[in-house]
Amino acid sequence: MKIRFWGVRGSIPSPGPDTNRYGGNTSCVSVRAADGTLVILDMGTGLMHLGNELLAGEFGAGRGHATILLSHSHWDHIQGLGFFAPVFVGGNAFALWGRAGAPGRLEVALEGQMNPNYSPLYTLRNLGATFTVHELEVERTVEVGPLRIRAHANPHGNTTALAFRIEEDGRALVYASDVGYPEGGPSAACVAFYRGAHTLIHDTTYTPADQVARRARGFSSYEDAAAAAVTAGVGRLAMFHYDQDYGDADVDALRDACRAALDARGGAGIELVAAAEGLELEI
Amino acid sequence: MRVRFWGVRGSIPMPGPTTNRYGGNTSCVEVRPASGDPIIIDAGTGLRRLGKELAAGVFGDGGGTAHVLISHTHWDHIQGLPFFAPLYRAGNQVHVYARQRENQHLRTVFATQTDAPYFPVPLDALQASLEFRGLVEGEAFTIGAAQVRCTRLNHPWVAMAYRVDVDGAGVVYASDTAPFSDVLLEHDFIKTPPVVGAPLAPDGERQLQRMRASLVEMCRGADLLIYDTQFTPEEYRQRPHWGHSTPDDALAIARDAGVPRLCLYHHAPARTDDQLDAVLEACRAGVRAAGTGIEVLAAYEGLELVLGEDAP
Repeated sequence: MKIRFWGVRGSIPSPGPDTNRYGGNTSCVSVRAADGTLVILDMGTGLMHLGNELLAGEFGAGRGHATILLSHSHWDHIQGLGFFAPVFVGGNAFALWGRAGAPGRLEVALEGQMNPNYSPLYTLRNLGATFTVHELEVERTVEVGPLRIRAHANPHGNTTALAFRIEEDGRALVYASDVGYPEGGPSAACVAFYRGAHTLIHDTTYTPADQVARRARGFSSYEDAAAAAVTAGVGRLAMFHYDQDYGDADVDALRDACRAALDARGGAGIELVAAAEGLELEI
Repeated sequence: MRVRFWGVRGSIPMPGPTTNRYGGNTSCVEVRPASGDPIIIDAGTGLRRLGKELAAGVFGDGGGTAHVLISHTHWDHIQGLPFFAPLYRAGNQVHVYARQRENQHLRTVFATQTDAPYFPVPLDALQASLEFRGLVEGEAFTIGAAQVRCTRLNHPWVAMAYRVDVDGAGVVYASDTAPFSDVLLEHDFIKTPPVVGAPLAPDGERQLQRMRASLVEMCRGADLLIYDTQFTPEEYRQRPHWGHSTPDDALAIARDAGVPRLCLYHHAPARTDDQLDAVLEACRAGVRAAGTGIEVLAAYEGLELVLGEDAP
């Protein structure tokens, strides 16, 4: 699997000179299997930039298809859809998997995003490509080409966000953005879901101090991420979904502190990366 | 009055090194009378930083009142509202003005933005008082000592232009709009791009002429015109139904209304800083050639203009 980060920011895009290095676009990660199968994790504003690159290949010719896994439908995870150039090219096909509380609600939410009050697109039916929405059952394995995909519902404030586990040839990527654990930390089921992942992309929105002041919002600090990584015995932790107020220097400090937190918890062997726009990882 | 730009980008925020100088945040302009409450035009992502600045003053103590004029409710003009810090402090009052809907309460349109499953904090949970006022085109009203007028623009689902007069100066904000020549944009979805220069149905043409005349009339005597110039002429020819203008369209309105100063605004998301420099330079060269004497600026985040009695 080849992973690339297109948006690593939480809540709202944060343009400006102080986010040049890590990037100011909201959540979007692409995953390519060895045979070229494409899976897209979340549709924040980073999706626009992924789309522009995809146009150079089969998606520009109307012969592309991809699976989109949506953690949840908060704005910073769906805003890129209307600006994703390949959905306007007839012949391309996208299958979006996710859930939003009740059956059918996810499609209504995505349709509502295109409502003429908010968007000049009016409706999903005006996208030129085939775009289908599917309800994803948690803890059930779905196969997409050579990839085996499973979802787990994590607590996220007053709602839930899906974490995804994607496996190819026995190696696993876990994507866990937008998660706020209860006081006792992640549940046993959650740890089992992360267990042994080669790479864990985990929400590190806050420093512990900021996290305490904003716990009800349902995000993690780097301490939470480090604890989850060590407990689940992952090989590599990728920090993700930074607070919109953090500049590059703040994220540098967050990374150093996360390294120390991993070491202090017995995770000295865990590789740490701070996700940045354009960063590529291989599994 | 002091006019400050907090977000100058159209469509979608554009972070990254190529937008550092002009800025990547979406539409938001502050009009601050010499005394009195801030008037804010549009609530794109630029509103977030303005909110933080306001929260450092009287809004931090819950004693502030702000007025927000919304051109229209496309995402790039409302995305910053849930991130406007004064809304999270009891005692503050925020008044939002936007075009009255035919069959929907304005509050509902805005509430959907922050309802589940889109956002964790619904409008009803905000600590500040948040009031909505529906406007009809042509309406005139006052905000403190400021006189405000509005007229409609040529944009899908309809946008409003605003004029604010206070401290002996007038500023017009006209974004988003297509020129008033090739397609009438209202509530229908237009799937196929109309041909630029092709004749229009007489009724549509009359409506567009009336719309343009009302805008020119509203601009007359203003000191500054802030105008949607998202497109190059070539981009406009490809997408006249998207509802955006070129610098030449903006210059024509400024010229016809006798406005001495034009500010290019609502820059295309992909336009880099260097490209915007070139757009501005080409526009200025056009003005020199035409001899109209209009001063042209290109809006950037942090640009501050002082107009009227405070002017240096």
